[in-house]
Amino acid sequence: MPVNLIDIQKKLTDFSVQAKARAARIAGYHQEVTHLVEAYAQRGEELRERVSRAAEQIPHLRCAVPGNEPLDLTVPCPNLPETFTVLAADGSQINPSRHARIEFCVINVAVVKMVRGSGQAPKIFTRSQLLDFDAAFLPTGVLIPEGMVALKRDLQEREALAELAGELIHPAVSMTDGPLELYREPQEAGEFDQTLDRYLDVLALLRSRQLITLGYVDKPGGDLIARLLELVQLDEHDLEAYNPRRRRFAGVSDVYLLSSLLVNPGDRSAVFAIHSDIARRFSGDLALHFFYLNVGKVGRPHLARVEIPGWVAKDRVLLETLQAILMEQAGMLGSRPYPYILHRAHEEAIVTMAEADHVEEMIVAEFINRGIPIGDISHKQFHKNLPTQKTRYQG
Amino acid sequence: MNAIEIGRLLRSGTTGFVVGCRVSQLNAPGFGALVRVPLEDGYQVYGLIYDIHIDDDGLVRQLITAEDVPEEVLRDNRENRNVPVEIGVLAVGYEIGDHIYHLLPPRPPLSLDTIFLCSPEEIARFTEVGFGYFRHLLRDRDKPVEELLAAHLLAARAAQTEAGNSNWYQDALQHLIAALRDDYQRLMDLLGTAGEIK
Repeated sequence: MPVNLIDIQKKLTDFSVQAKARAARIAGYHQEVTHLVEAYAQRGEELRERVSRAAEQIPHLRCAVPGNEPLDLTVPCPNLPETFTVLAADGSQINPSRHARIEFCVINVAVVKMVRGSGQAPKIFTRSQLLDFDAAFLPTGVLIPEGMVALKRDLQEREALAELAGELIHPAVSMTDGPLELYREPQEAGEFDQTLDRYLDVLALLRSRQLITLGYVDKPGGDLIARLLELVQLDEHDLEAYNPRRRRFAGVSDVYLLSSLLVNPGDRSAVFAIHSDIARRFSGDLALHFFYLNVGKVGRPHLARVEIPGWVAKDRVLLETLQAILMEQAGMLGSRPYPYILHRAHEEAIVTMAEADHVEEMIVAEFINRGIPIGDISHKQFHKNLPTQKTRYQG
Repeated sequence: MNAIEIGRLLRSGTTGFVVGCRVSQLNAPGFGALVRVPLEDGYQVYGLIYDIHIDDDGLVRQLITAEDVPEEVLRDNRENRNVPVEIGVLAVGYEIGDHIYHLLPPRPPLSLDTIFLCSPEEIARFTEVGFGYFRHLLRDRDKPVEELLAAHLLAARAAQTEAGNSNWYQDALQHLIAALRDDYQRLMDLLGTAGEIK
């Protein structure tokens, strides 16, 4: 048996006690933060000034910034347009591995386009890119890290949407899974800047073609609103001493905070901007914003975070449109609400193990035809690939 | 008349095979229909459809829980998603060099071979050889044989009548009665089912 369940069992009591204590601590803060939401509901200007001041004192500050709507706003779900277009893009990749026979990288992106009201089956577009051989290596000679491949994939998802943005039935909404904001690992700085510039160009193109774009975050763990409210409790001295690793309201997630406000299916929260190092690169019409949406059912709320660019955030009609469309999409999957079209894009994009093996065989065949030497898989990988009756958790 | 393609072969054996088809192709084949799989050099395998099977998957199960399934989602699942309709076919004979045999085929069809629905002329041609292929059906007790025979007899009677052989149906019934004379229950089931044929 690979896991000693007796050891796990011994730990369960402590583990549960810790979980209970943490929940109690967060519940205590929840009350406090909820009062702050009420107290500052109409004091957006004051909060914005506070963030601005804090940003001067706190490096790498990350928090929500209120817009013109009250903090505790709840907007019920509006009506759906009769005809509209929904697009979703998702990507999957084969990461280069030094354990494989050949180092290569493939990015596979699928876009699903549905015209609601047409009665037609959605159209599916897939593009698979084998990265140039040299592109699989950093200038230092080592293989590119998985995070960098993920960045390239994120960019290609948006590019694929932009390619289809030309002739659409409007209103048109496009979405990807996860935030609009890009993240990076420290070692990817150079590549990240180039990718981000291109990413911003694509977002600007989507904006010019009036294709509403959003990032959908299911089961979000973000706490940007709690981080904002934390700032109002800090005096100047506290601001200077602020340590993001020792936060007062740590663990109070936005979902936890808003679940008592967004009680009806389709309710959305106020729209907030995002303040962060990377978010600052998204300026003007592309400035990053977000809101929460209850995509659940009566008595079973389920909050998702929706990230949108500034040009959508400031247009009430567009906000209403995407709120209604997202609710319809999530409702299509019944008891587990999640945008149907995003799930379909995921289904179409995913690279299976069999497909990855097939791509590798194709490359090997081409190398053999051209007399290019082929390495062997690592012994470690060889032994991992041995058939076994035990199945392993792939976590 | 153009041949009607109903799908491609998924897996096969000597006694039968399974065909996969898209939902959009599903309006052509029916339970009891005679199909053929052309192979090489005038060799083709004949079979009767005994099962049409549509699998579910996780997404379909989830969609069932939704209050409403829009037309676009319905068509997406029927036309785009990789959930083929599976058609089970019982092998009943083969043809080599213009000669039809009511024997099991010497070689089964191969993966992705194309399967065609037999036209009335082809049904008449296959069934006029005799009734030897009935034994392949009667031997298989895991399938709804009586229903399968009834569906086949209905189509074959129409094809034979059109070809000028109006006695074919009665001859077929006589053959089946003789074949099942020692199995009263199955004979009664068969005659009961055949009685449904108008």
